[in-house]
Amino acid sequence: MNAAGPNQFIADNDTRTFLQKFGLRIFLVFIAAVFLYFATTTDHYLTLDTLKAIVRDAALVGIMAIGLTFVTLSGNFFLLSMKETAALCIIAFAMGMANDYGFILSLAGAVAIAAMAGAIQGALIGLGGNPIVVTLGAAGILYGLAAWWSDNLVISYRRPHDAEWLGTGSLFGIPNITVAFIVIAIVAEWVLKKTSFGRQVFLIGANRAAGKATGHENFSMAIKVCIIASICCAFVAVAFSAQLSSAQANYFSSEFGSAGDYTILVIATVMVGGNSIMGGYGSTLRTSLGAVFISSVDYLMVLKGFASGARVLSVGLMIVASIIIFAYLRRGSRSEG
Amino acid sequence: MSAWLELRGVKRSFGQIHALKGVDFTVNHGEVVGLVGENGAGKSTINKIMSGFDNGFEGEFYVDGKLTNLGSPKNANAVGIAIAQQELSLIPTMTVAENIFLGHGHVPTLCSHKRLAELARPLLDEVGLNEVSPNIHVHRLSVGERHLVEVARLIAHEPQLLILDEPTAALGEADSQRILAMVRRLKAQGKSIVYVSHRMDEIFEITDRCTVLRDGRSEATLPTSELDTNKLVSLMLGRELGTMFPAKPKQAKTEVRFTVEHLWPDSVLAPVSFEIRAGEILGLAGQLGSGSGEILAAIAGAHSVRSGVLHDHKNGESFLPASPSDAIRKKIGYCSPDRKHDGLFLGRPIVENLSSPNLSRISRRGLMQKLTETTLAKDIAGAFTIDANRLEEEASVLSGGNQQKVALGKWLSIEPDLILVDEPTRGVDVGARAEIYARIRDLADQGAAIVIASTDLLEISNLPDRVITFFKGAKTGELNGVEITSDNILKNIADPDHLELELGEKL
Repeated sequence: MNAAGPNQFIADNDTRTFLQKFGLRIFLVFIAAVFLYFATTTDHYLTLDTLKAIVRDAALVGIMAIGLTFVTLSGNFFLLSMKETAALCIIAFAMGMANDYGFILSLAGAVAIAAMAGAIQGALIGLGGNPIVVTLGAAGILYGLAAWWSDNLVISYRRPHDAEWLGTGSLFGIPNITVAFIVIAIVAEWVLKKTSFGRQVFLIGANRAAGKATGHENFSMAIKVCIIASICCAFVAVAFSAQLSSAQANYFSSEFGSAGDYTILVIATVMVGGNSIMGGYGSTLRTSLGAVFISSVDYLMVLKGFASGARVLSVGLMIVASIIIFAYLRRGSRSEG
Repeated sequence: MSAWLELRGVKRSFGQIHALKGVDFTVNHGEVVGLVGENGAGKSTINKIMSGFDNGFEGEFYVDGKLTNLGSPKNANAVGIAIAQQELSLIPTMTVAENIFLGHGHVPTLCSHKRLAELARPLLDEVGLNEVSPNIHVHRLSVGERHLVEVARLIAHEPQLLILDEPTAALGEADSQRILAMVRRLKAQGKSIVYVSHRMDEIFEITDRCTVLRDGRSEATLPTSELDTNKLVSLMLGRELGTMFPAKPKQAKTEVRFTVEHLWPDSVLAPVSFEIRAGEILGLAGQLGSGSGEILAAIAGAHSVRSGVLHDHKNGESFLPASPSDAIRKKIGYCSPDRKHDGLFLGRPIVENLSSPNLSRISRRGLMQKLTETTLAKDIAGAFTIDANRLEEEASVLSGGNQQKVALGKWLSIEPDLILVDEPTRGVDVGARAEIYARIRDLADQGAAIVIASTDLLEISNLPDRVITFFKGAKTGELNGVEITSDNILKNIADPDHLELELGEKL
């Protein structure tokens, strides 16, 4: 009677197909090979300056994506209001700077607004609101407020100002924004892996009903993770504004510059990092690597002379590809679930 | 004469899991065959194969002496096999007649309601629904009546073999009797019936022959007249009943630890009051929909209530948990009947599952103490015979029995005073069942108060020290010591008409 032994485990891992077992490694090797080919055949790509530029470009989107990773890992899906939160924060910060409130007060104002926006969205999601609908509505409200407050104009403030160190300063040759990105990535990873709050994020994300049954309510979790994500938006907004010494509500939309739409970029970063959309599996380290990966592909395309349309297209393709690949890989290891 | 339907050496695997390891099964004309076995023994797999839903099996399948491959449920219908599933497939917003002829090829495409009703009438009469109008909407029928309508729909195809998969599991006594009467009528017409049931009394009453499945094999096929309850149960379990359940303590426990007073969970008919004693296993017996599960959930703060209070006599407190986290603070652990839904974090490591109810115990100022957590998990794994070397693996790789041990064992992390377990061994194989019973008894011996709710008659009559019975949301009785027999329990949970229901209790 082989099912009756006290410690019989069903080794259902073995039901994975060859592709499910080795698919990720094969895929990563393939990507690395393609990437290396283009990298070595493109002039000026494999240089220290380029690397620094890549990580620097990854920093802003990366910080927002790290914040969003908390939301996704906790099973609360995505905030579709990331760039709008940043928009309202950048206006608030620039208003503060333009009216000579100074860096600290302006930053505090932006962070307070973000925390409030995050708390309200989190509470609505925690009460059972659909995250897509709630944050889409919030996106409209936040952007509307930002555009209204600023009359849709560019708000600029004079240099020198006391936020320049964040926007354009550097530490031992590394831009301060890059340093901030690395520090935030490390802290976020530490919080997720080493604190009981981080454990709760994973537990609730893995199974919300079981989380509730073991005393971990999603209501307070949703509020906390939405505040974290929103404050990351505020920080990015402040850094971005400090860099340009100005602000406008549309700085994070695709019509501004070639960086593309921040909401899409941020979600792409979380996805490309391989975090489970359903929550419970992933890490902010993966998100950070996703940000660097997207940024390096983008930089390569710039050097190859691709137009912005093609670059946005590549980000979209990366989202779709990562959904398919990670869904297929994880189906293998979750067969009994 | 060879049998009308015959399965020879049928095997079925799902990946590494062997659901069937060799089953022989025959059905003759005009015969009622009982298919009995524990949960997970392979009954539903066989039913799926016989009704054409599952074709990925090895072995031989004969219908009327011819080797057959059904291929689809439609072909099964064509050769004359029909199955009534446990879950109803009727559409509640359509009439009885419409449901009966749904997807039925022989009815003209355009057919008036009146004509349809006329066609449905004889079928309803045949299943014993003489008083039910074919024009009534299905959602107005009782659950039992719906089961009979489902059968009427199958009979419309004039099958030779009708498979009834636990037709009475959700029914009261009166409706069950109607099902049994219908089975007898069909048998008299020369039809064959495969009858799957957990209810021993029905098996003995209605079947001519029984095939016992255990662990994916056909263990024995015997005429029902040669069987008695003990023999049937030991064939099902593969061991004597006495070795399945831990011995009950000789001395009844007297220290009342908690009193549940006037607890009235939503969707339950009437409020109940009862005592819970330290060191004792209390059983709440009832069929599906009896309310016993809701009572457990309500005590754990996982089900809304209209009224009720829990008196903790040791700490001199009176409260009713408002939420599961509230219950955990009061050292109450609750396992719901559906561990995959809210009992386990399948995608997380076993160690995280075991420590999940009490993160504050394994953290200091918000920082996880990995060593403390590992020690805690190893302790629990030791007490619940979970392989300590696999604590870092995802809970999803465990078998059903080991998953249930994790779902139960995690409550040790809060050092519970009260443990509530709904369906302690659903979907758990025989060996693990005996072990889980032993662990539950251990916890009681260590002084915890334990309440289990179960619809499994064998379990509820053999594990608890005291049993409270429920019928359709009302308490129907309390059994102590030697009064706890499956007959007494069945009488109280299925046929309480002659009993005084405790409806009026201090309303």
